[in-house]
Amino acid sequence: MSQEKLLEVTNLKQHFKTGRHSVVKAIDGISFDIYQGETFGLVGESGCGKSTTGRTIIRLYDATDGDVKFKGEDVHGKKSNRDLKKFNQKMQMIFQDPYASLNPRMTVLDIIAEGLDVHGLVKDEKARKQRVEELLERVGLNKEHANRYPHEFSGGQRQRIGIARALAVDPEFIIADEPISALDVSIQAQVVNLLKKLQKEHGLTYLFIAHDLSMVKYISDRIGVMYFGKLVELADSDELYKNPLHPYTKSLLSAIPLPDPDYERNRQRIAYDPSQHDTSEEPEFREISPGHWVSCTTKEFEAYKQELNKN
Amino acid sequence: MENILEVKDLHISFDTFGGEVKAVRGVSFDLKKGETLAIVGESGSGKSVTTRALARLIPSPPGRIKEGEILFDGKDLAKLKENDMQKIRGKDISTIFQDPMTSLNPTMKIGNQIMEGLIKHQKMSKSQAKKRAVELLELVGLPNPTERIDQYPHQFSGGQRQRVVIAIALACNPKILIADEPTTALDVTIQAQILELMKDIQKKTDSSIIFITHDLGVVANVADRVAVMYAGKIVEIGTVDEIFYNPKHPYTWGLLGSMPTLDNTGDDLIAIPGSPPDMLKPPKGDAFAPRNEYALEIDKEMEPPMFKVSDTHYAATWLLHEYAPDVQPPAPVLRRMKGFSNTGADSNSKEGEQR
Repeated sequence: MSQEKLLEVTNLKQHFKTGRHSVVKAIDGISFDIYQGETFGLVGESGCGKSTTGRTIIRLYDATDGDVKFKGEDVHGKKSNRDLKKFNQKMQMIFQDPYASLNPRMTVLDIIAEGLDVHGLVKDEKARKQRVEELLERVGLNKEHANRYPHEFSGGQRQRIGIARALAVDPEFIIADEPISALDVSIQAQVVNLLKKLQKEHGLTYLFIAHDLSMVKYISDRIGVMYFGKLVELADSDELYKNPLHPYTKSLLSAIPLPDPDYERNRQRIAYDPSQHDTSEEPEFREISPGHWVSCTTKEFEAYKQELNKN
Repeated sequence: MENILEVKDLHISFDTFGGEVKAVRGVSFDLKKGETLAIVGESGSGKSVTTRALARLIPSPPGRIKEGEILFDGKDLAKLKENDMQKIRGKDISTIFQDPMTSLNPTMKIGNQIMEGLIKHQKMSKSQAKKRAVELLELVGLPNPTERIDQYPHQFSGGQRQRVVIAIALACNPKILIADEPTTALDVTIQAQILELMKDIQKKTDSSIIFITHDLGVVANVADRVAVMYAGKIVEIGTVDEIFYNPKHPYTWGLLGSMPTLDNTGDDLIAIPGSPPDMLKPPKGDAFAPRNEYALEIDKEMEPPMFKVSDTHYAATWLLHEYAPDVQPPAPVLRRMKGFSNTGADSNSKEGEQR
């Protein structure tokens, strides 16, 4: 993996007004980088802002504050339509619900080719069809499927169509927002294997958003843990699972049930109590060991460092 | 241990315009007092239909119990009249449904929803029932029950609502609790709390639980025994250790291999290719054969019977037949089996004995 930054997110904020005086701080100042060719996992409970983060990066929402840079260029802020199109082609999204994210009145051919039409990537009808058939085969469907409608497919097949649609415009970066949560276990493995294969073939970079922590661990190179709109810990995935430092990460990891009865009999769940933090000092995101970042106060910083040295 | 429930050769079909959908095709199992039996399988495998039949919640028409017996307390529930069934449903057998967002009545205060069963089945007065409802909410760990009892479902979070649903299910001290994916809609941390709560309550009340899920992590956590269902049949049943550390059916291998464990990163997940069969026309022979790389010729012709692996462990695959070739399970499953043989149990028994 090269260490070239593909995406830089700096102090991103997304606040929603929910009434005249009340504001929901869905994302409250998060920063992270995603390197070329890696899979960055984002985990957290529902409502922690992980999906909003993905949607804000790709500009489905306008950010309240902060920067998103793609290959050094600012994505947010005022842009001409032409510039926007350029970004849209490089960045694509795979959605969670394969039932809601495909237009039921369009054929698979038109669904997948929509991006090609918008960006003017194919010259004529023949090339368009050929490109779609090629995409269908790449995601493990048949080219005969092109003329069918979404309701004729199972959940796993629909998610493959969603992936083909994202791949159509040759993106470099794909945001996958819980792409497997709605699928059966055996089908989940099919889709995850497909995503991994496509990454190898096309050198894609993924932002993988999910709450299934064992799957995130499996697919991601690095993982960020979100809690109430803030990033509380970020590390290599092995490091995060071996040496979780933030008490919320520990509690989250201790809650995952694993398919191993012996382990389950002895698993101790750690509860997270937000009041254990010293509130007199605003926590900052600090690097404890190379590549391992934790949100902490100065005092906690020292304590975490010692904890890490002990292990 | 005594059996509290016995299901024998249950067949359930749905009549549709396309024809008869054979959702459950001969399911037999028993449930012991105080145990948790987990039923796992993909969507469409018939696990929900089976358990709904136990509470006679299959809408008829289109659904009907074609054949089979459900023996509970000396009665055959499959043939009971609706009036008699109403005395059992919610009292002796109660259900926790999957989606706490839709299984509560949005226009009724939660207190009244809990009291409904108490007044009907336990013949309690309104004030008695209210007292009991507060106790139940305390039991399921909802803070300030006396105030919250007068609130509506929308004023609760997902995890809290599921606690309310559990309180309703527990209201009449049921002997059998059917939990149909009770934690699938919840976050991991909330899921862990609910599972702990259910285990805790089971200890206190000694009720039996049938737990439906497709999350094998949850199964490992709660189950004493596990039944694996595929295409309307139980293909493997055994204790939780036997299923996880000595699985015999290729479908169970696939399910176990398709979940990553926290220590495997390198190798690909085992995906079960294809998708489940159309139950309008269940295939001839073993229904899993078209997706099974270990399928033998006979699988296409004849359905395998249940082979006995141990007194508690049965699997329906021809691979267990004495003439079957020796087959190595996939690597991740072999790793599990190693752990099991270390514990001293015999993992290589291959008997041609049929049930």
